[in-house]
Amino acid sequence: MKRFNLALRLLRRDGRSGELTLLVLALLIAVAGTSTISLFADRLQRTLSVQVAEFLAGDLVLAGSQAIDDSWRARAADLGLTQSQTTEFSSVLLENGQMLLAAIKAVGQSYPLRGILKTLEVEEGEEVTVRQGPEPGTAWVEKRILSALQLGLGDLLTVGEKPLRVTRILTYEPDKRGDFYSFSPRVVIHQADLQATGVIQPGSHVHYFYQFIGAEPQLKAFKQWLKPQLNPSQRILDIHEDRPELGSALQRAERYLGLSSIVVVLIAGVAIAMAAGRYTERHFNAAALFRCLGCRQGEILWLYTLQFLLLGALASAAGCLLGWLGQLGLFYVLKPLLPQQPADPGLLAVVFGFVTGMAILLGFALPPLLRLREVSPLRVLRRELEPLPAKAWLVYGLAIAVMSALIGRYSNDWQMTASVIGTGLLSLLVLGLLIACALSLLRPLLPRLGVIWRFGVQGLLRNRRASVSQILAFSITLAAMSLSFTVRNDLIDQWQQQLPERAPNYFALNIIPAQQPAFALDLSGAGMEGSAFYPVVRGRLVAINAEPVQKRVSKDSQGEAATQRDLSLTWAAAIPADNTLTAGEIWPQNEAGWVSVERKLADNLNIKVGDELQFTIGSEQVSARVANLRSLEWDTMKPNFYMIFSPGTLDGFPFTYLTSFYLPDAGKDLLNQLLKTYPAITVLDVDQVLKQFKTILMQLTQAIDLLLYFALAAGFAVLFAAVYATLDDRIRQAALMRTLGAKRGWLASTHLVEFGFLGALAGTMAAILQQVILYVFYSRVMHIPYRLSWLSGAALLAIGVVSVGLAGYWGVREVLNRSPMRVLRRL
Amino acid sequence: MRTHSEQGNTPIIETRNLAKSVQTLEGELHILSSVDLIIKSGESIAIVGESGSGKTTLLSLLAGLDTPSRGSVVIKGRDITRMSEDGRAALRGELVGFVFQSFQLLPALTALENVMLPLELIGDPEAEAAARVLLERVGLGRRLSHTPRQLSGGEQQRVALARAFVAGPAILFADEPTGNLDSKTGAHVIDLLFELNQERHTTLVLVTHDASLAARCGRMIRLDAGSMV
Repeated sequence: MKRFNLALRLLRRDGRSGELTLLVLALLIAVAGTSTISLFADRLQRTLSVQVAEFLAGDLVLAGSQAIDDSWRARAADLGLTQSQTTEFSSVLLENGQMLLAAIKAVGQSYPLRGILKTLEVEEGEEVTVRQGPEPGTAWVEKRILSALQLGLGDLLTVGEKPLRVTRILTYEPDKRGDFYSFSPRVVIHQADLQATGVIQPGSHVHYFYQFIGAEPQLKAFKQWLKPQLNPSQRILDIHEDRPELGSALQRAERYLGLSSIVVVLIAGVAIAMAAGRYTERHFNAAALFRCLGCRQGEILWLYTLQFLLLGALASAAGCLLGWLGQLGLFYVLKPLLPQQPADPGLLAVVFGFVTGMAILLGFALPPLLRLREVSPLRVLRRELEPLPAKAWLVYGLAIAVMSALIGRYSNDWQMTASVIGTGLLSLLVLGLLIACALSLLRPLLPRLGVIWRFGVQGLLRNRRASVSQILAFSITLAAMSLSFTVRNDLIDQWQQQLPERAPNYFALNIIPAQQPAFALDLSGAGMEGSAFYPVVRGRLVAINAEPVQKRVSKDSQGEAATQRDLSLTWAAAIPADNTLTAGEIWPQNEAGWVSVERKLADNLNIKVGDELQFTIGSEQVSARVANLRSLEWDTMKPNFYMIFSPGTLDGFPFTYLTSFYLPDAGKDLLNQLLKTYPAITVLDVDQVLKQFKTILMQLTQAIDLLLYFALAAGFAVLFAAVYATLDDRIRQAALMRTLGAKRGWLASTHLVEFGFLGALAGTMAAILQQVILYVFYSRVMHIPYRLSWLSGAALLAIGVVSVGLAGYWGVREVLNRSPMRVLRRL
Repeated sequence: MRTHSEQGNTPIIETRNLAKSVQTLEGELHILSSVDLIIKSGESIAIVGESGSGKTTLLSLLAGLDTPSRGSVVIKGRDITRMSEDGRAALRGELVGFVFQSFQLLPALTALENVMLPLELIGDPEAEAAARVLLERVGLGRRLSHTPRQLSGGEQQRVALARAFVAGPAILFADEPTGNLDSKTGAHVIDLLFELNQERHTTLVLVTHDASLAARCGRMIRLDAGSMV
C-alpha cells in the first residue's frame, strides 16, 4: 500500500508538472478512438441487424417442411421471445375459367415481427403501409393474380375449398425469399383460414417458417438450444446465407469498422511508444537518484509500472467516457439515416475499450519503461551514462502480441491475423533496412550541400538509430491513416459499381423462346436497359462423381440449401462478364458436356475441376464434367447462376428465358403495357428490395465516412504529438546554436530541411508499406481486386513532408523566440 | 530519523587495494590504483586533486555507486564489493546521503517534495514533518512549494543539503558541492553543510579541488593520477 501511495504521489507530481501530457493525450486518443469505434460498430451492427432482420421478418427464423413441436414454441415463450408463423405452399387457383399456380402464404396475427407490408386499398390508389396481415376470411393478392384470374378488389377468391374476399393488393412483403426465378404470384391469407382451405394434407409440399424476436442473449440461447434438435429438413435462416447481397455488404462494413479500430490502435500505439520513450528518457535522472537513495532495481520498475497502470486506468476510464460521448455524437450525426430506434450501446464494448487501453499501454510503453530499471546510480555523477536501449525483440514482441490479439479479436480469423502481422513484420524489417540505407546514402552528400542543408541533414544523421525509429513510427502512422482512407474509397466504389444508379430493378422470367426476340425489341424500344437474356432449365444437382450429393452437404450450409431445391441451369458460350474464373478454363474442347460451377458452392460441396456432376431435369438425367470454377458477386441484382453449361449440353430440354432490366419510377405504365402484350411472362419487382438495400449501403457509407474522419483526426493529432516527443534533443541543440550566434532564419531553415527530409522519408516508406498491406488486405480479407496506386503514393509523400515538416517546425519554434538560457533550463 | 552516536575510532569505511581501470582503444586505462584508506566514524575527510585525478571515481566506489576492478570497500563491516547492485542500493538507503555538484533535484517536484523523497521511499509516515523541519533549518521555510526552476543555485543546493540529511545518514558523500555556485553562495552552503554535519554527527566524505574548503575538513587525501600521495 505504501508503494501504491508513493506511486500515486509521484504520478500526481509528474502530472502537475506536465511530464505526462503527451502520454495521456496518446492514451486518451487510443482509448477514446477504440471505444468510440467499438461502441459505434457494435451498436450500428445491432441496429442494422434489426433492420436487416426485416428481410427475414424476424431476428431468428426457423424454416422446415414440418410443423414444429409445441414444446419448441413453449421454450421460446419461456425465454421471453415473441413469435409468429407463416406457412407457404403452392396451390392452383381457378376463377372465371382461368387457372393460375399461386404461392400461398398463411400468416399469423403478429406477422411480420420485423418490417412492414405495403398494400393498395384500391387498384390505382396510394401505397399503404401496414404492420399486420389480412383478417380471417380475407386475402391480399399480388396484382398479377387479379389480372390473370379476371378478378377485382372485393371479389371472392377460393383457395382450396375456402372462399376468401380479396380486400387489398399486396405490393411488398419483407421476407420474400427464394431464388427470383421460380416465383409464382403471391396470395396472403390468415393462418386461421388455413385448415379450412383443405389444401394441406399429409405429404403436401409445405414450408413452415417460424419467426422469433427478442433480446440478443435469449435469441442466442434459443438458437443454441434449437440447433442440436433440428432434423435434416429444418434449418435456421441466417442473413449471411439467405440474403447474400446484404450479408456480404454487412460483413465488409463490419470488417471496415474492425480495420478502423486497428488503425486507431496502431496510430495511438506508435504515439504511446514514442511518448513513453520520451517519458523514460526524462526520468533517467530520477531513477538514478532513486537508486542512490536506496531503491532496488525491481522497486524502481514496480514504482513506474504502478504509475503507468494507474495512469492507464485513469486515462482508459476517461477515454471510455469520451468514447461513449463519441458514439452518441456519431449516432446523432447519422440520426436522419438510421432507423428510428437504434439499438442501445453495449456495455461490453466499453469494457473492451478499457481493456484495449491498458493492453496498448503495456504493449507499447512497457519496453521503454524497462530501461528505467537499468539506469546506473552512477548517472548522478556522470549524466552522460544512459542505459542500453530496450531489446528489439522485447519492444516489437510485446507490441506485436498486443496488435495480434486486437486484430484477432476484430477479425475472428487467426490465419488472417497471422498473415497481416507476418506481412507487417516483414515490411517493417525491410523498411527499417531501407531507411538505414537511405540515411547512409545521405552521408556522402553532406560535403556537397550548402551549410543550411548540411546542418538539416546532419540533424537526421546525428542519431541514426533514433532517426530510423522515428521515420518508421511516422511511416506506420501515415500508412495506417492512408489505409483507412483508401480502403474506404475502394469499398464504396465497389458498392457503387455493384449497384449503379440504374441497377436492374425488375426481373422478367418465363419468357418463352418464341417471344424472346419480340420482348427484347420491345424492352429496348421502350428505352429500358436490360442485362442479357439467359436460357433457363430447372434441374437439381443429385450426384458428384456418382456419389449422392446429400452425403457431401453439411447442415445449414449453402450447399444444403442449393441441393434441396431445383436450380436455374443455363448455358452460354462464355461466362458472364462480371464473373471471374478462379480455376480451370472455359469449355476445354469447346464442346457439350461441360459445366462451370460457382466457387463458393463448389467449395461447400468439395467440387473440383474435372469432377462429374449429375443433374435431374424433369424425369431425365444429365451429366457434365466440371470445366471451371468462377466467383461472382451475388449482390449485383443481375441474373446469377450456380451452374452454367457449355452450349449444347442442355439441348432438347424445354427452356424459358430470363432477364433483368431497369425501369424508372415514371415508367410503370410501360410495364403494364408490356404485361398486357406478354401475359405469360412473369415480371418480378425487386425495386423495393433494391431501395432498401441502397439505404443500408448509404447508412454504412456515412458511418464509414465518419469513422474515417475520426481516424484521420486522431492520426494527425497523434502525429503532431509524436513529433513533439522527439524534440527535446533538437531544442537543446538549437538553443546551443542560438547561444553561439545562429540567426533565427538560419535555424528555422535547418529545421525545415531536417523535418522535411524526415517527413519525405516517412512518406515514401508509408507509401511502400501501404501498398504491401493493401495487396494482402484486398486479396485475403476484402476480396476486392488490388491495383497499384501511384497517386496515393505521391500524396503520402507530400502529406509526410508537409505534416511532419510543419509539426516539427512548430515544435521547435519556441527556441527562435525565447532566450536560450530559459529554454535550456526548462529541459 | 536515524542518529549515529558511535564516534571515535571505529572505522566506518575501509578500502583495501582499491583500483579502477577501463578498457580503451589504446589499452587499459588506470583511473585509480591501489587506494588503501580507513575513514573513522564522525570524521570529515576531503579528497582533493586535479581534474582527472580520480576523485569522483573514488567517491563513487566508496559510496557503492560503481564497482572496482580490484580491491574492496567495507562499510560498517560489510564488504559492499561483494554485494549485488540491489544489496548496495539497500545499504545506501540505510546509511548514505549525497550532495552533488549539479544538485540533482527532480524538476517536477517542489522543494518540500524533493526533501521528502528519501523518507517516502522507505515509507516513513513522518516524511513531510521531517522535511519541513530540515527546510526550515536551511532557511527555506518559505520556499516549500517552489520547484527547482524557481530557486537560485544556492537555494537549490540548500534543498539538496536538506534532502541529504533528512533520512539521518551515517555517511554523507559530497561531490564538489560548491562547484556550480559563486564563492559567496558557496561559502554559505558549506557553512550550512558543516553545521548540519556536526549537529548530526555524520561522517563526511567531500570531493573538492577548493583548498580552503578542504582545509575545513579534519583530514585531507590528495590524489594524483589515480594514486594517493
